[in-house]
Amino acid sequence: MISYPQISIPPRSEHLWRYTPWKRIHPTKVEEMPDSDEIRFSSGENSEMDGSDEIARSFIHTISKVCKKVTLSNETLELDLRCSGHICAGELNVESTGESNLIIRVSGDAGWTGIRISGKVKDSLSVAVINDLASDGHFLRCEDWTVERDSTLEFATLSAGAFLNKSDVRVILSQKGAETRGGIASNGYGSRHDDHHFEIKHLVGHTDSSFVMHATCDDSSHSVGTGLLTICEGADGSDAGQVFRNLLLSEKSRAEAIPELEVLADDVKAAHGAASAPIDVNQIHYLASRGLSVDTATALIVEGFLMDAFRHVKSEKVVATLRTRLLVHLECLVNG
Amino acid sequence: MGDEVLSIDGLHVSVDGTEIIKGLSLTINLGEIHAIMGRNGSGKSTLANAIMGHPAYEITSGEIKFRGTPLDEMEVFERARAGMFLSFQYPSSIPGVQVGTFLRKSVSAVRGENAPSARDFRKELKGHMEALGMDKSFLGRYVNDGFSGGEKKRLEILQMLLLNPCLALLDETDSGLDIDALRVVSDGINSITPTAGSLVITHYERLLELVKPDFVHVMIDGRIVKTGNADLAGELEAKGYDWLEA
Repeated sequence: MISYPQISIPPRSEHLWRYTPWKRIHPTKVEEMPDSDEIRFSSGENSEMDGSDEIARSFIHTISKVCKKVTLSNETLELDLRCSGHICAGELNVESTGESNLIIRVSGDAGWTGIRISGKVKDSLSVAVINDLASDGHFLRCEDWTVERDSTLEFATLSAGAFLNKSDVRVILSQKGAETRGGIASNGYGSRHDDHHFEIKHLVGHTDSSFVMHATCDDSSHSVGTGLLTICEGADGSDAGQVFRNLLLSEKSRAEAIPELEVLADDVKAAHGAASAPIDVNQIHYLASRGLSVDTATALIVEGFLMDAFRHVKSEKVVATLRTRLLVHLECLVNG
Repeated sequence: MGDEVLSIDGLHVSVDGTEIIKGLSLTINLGEIHAIMGRNGSGKSTLANAIMGHPAYEITSGEIKFRGTPLDEMEVFERARAGMFLSFQYPSSIPGVQVGTFLRKSVSAVRGENAPSARDFRKELKGHMEALGMDKSFLGRYVNDGFSGGEKKRLEILQMLLLNPCLALLDETDSGLDIDALRVVSDGINSITPTAGSLVITHYERLLELVKPDFVHVMIDGRIVKTGNADLAGELEAKGYDWLEA
């Protein structure tokens, strides 16, 4: 395995780096290995994680001074990750059995935050990642999940904090009966740049995946959603879908949505789609006809649109937490 | 004229530059039920949408007054807060917004200072839902998202009962309803009649057997061409509309 300085800088022609090149998300100059502060984890045992050949993972791994591990078994864990200092980084290992929930809240005023998460799922795990970082920070997040036989990973991301965001989440459905479903809700405001890449690999047959990203784009914000669904050779009987939807709330906001499919098996169901549009005037009219002002109606539609990204998440605990955090965030945006 | 809730005088309405309503006048007083019948495309829904202020419907001439106030001076939400209600033919879905949250916000907005406490609201809501045969699981679902036709219409009537309007516009509220659901919805409409004026748009006599109209108007090509009592609905059912065009 080669270490960070030896990995060549990925070109912008690569799907993953088109809209947020490595140079832009790196905290200093790309050839530098800056010193970092530790992310403070509210719980977890000390652990270690392997390096990676992928540039972002390798970089976070190299500068991180902390790696924690949480092991879940039929439980709910709320894990706070506090990030402070100029540059802050850390790694997290997750192992889960039984029916578990993991709610990860990333907060703090670090200038740059890098997080790498790696997890194995046996049975059923519902994971929420809430990006609650200060609005002027930069955030790089990499996740790798492996879902085992007859197991389910539910994932949900509420992306509301930090000014420049790049996340790269990869899920491998490694054995028969493995399933993953969930979504990302991204709230764009100011000149926030929020880039999410999501890869799901169906390694074997009879595996299911369903992914949705909903982004609201206001002011001059920029949302990016790229996806890659791979159904490997011989993975017949797989069912996969990914959808990107963007709600454009201002003329200056931008949204990119690029789903990609790579199907190497014959007998599969695979679908993808993308749509960007302003708020439906009929929705506004309907709510206004029930006494809500246009501003209140718009706020309610935005809130609903973001929450709708989690419609396939079955864990009530996770959905309730996401709803609460979203409401607090939207309230704070209005009231300052 | 103290009982007059809606007066329409010489109304012309266009959609995308095409005139749909071509000179329509109508007055509705408190406690009256008016039914409008007519073929598809005759302008019935356009009339309801224009009264409620949908931005796609342009009033090119004429005037609509609600309790003496010209509606062009009122925003849509102000019309609702003043006591106007439209039960939509095709209510919009609002994904991600739970019915319970939406109803609470709507009742708070319309009733203002007189909005019930959370406890009283729940009690009131429960009573209306039971009367309409709605399960409480409805409240956790997203507004009109994945609802059947009948469920949508029940939710419209539930809103009407909660908002207790003094003018109810009901645009084909009976479409897609089975006989039992039609009876439930009709009971809802009848329950507000003593304190409201109603305009019921329908294609079928069967609703008007349960909601007895004081007046039946026939609309053809954007105009009211005939007005009669409840018997006119039966006559239309038997004879169709051709005889009115001659």
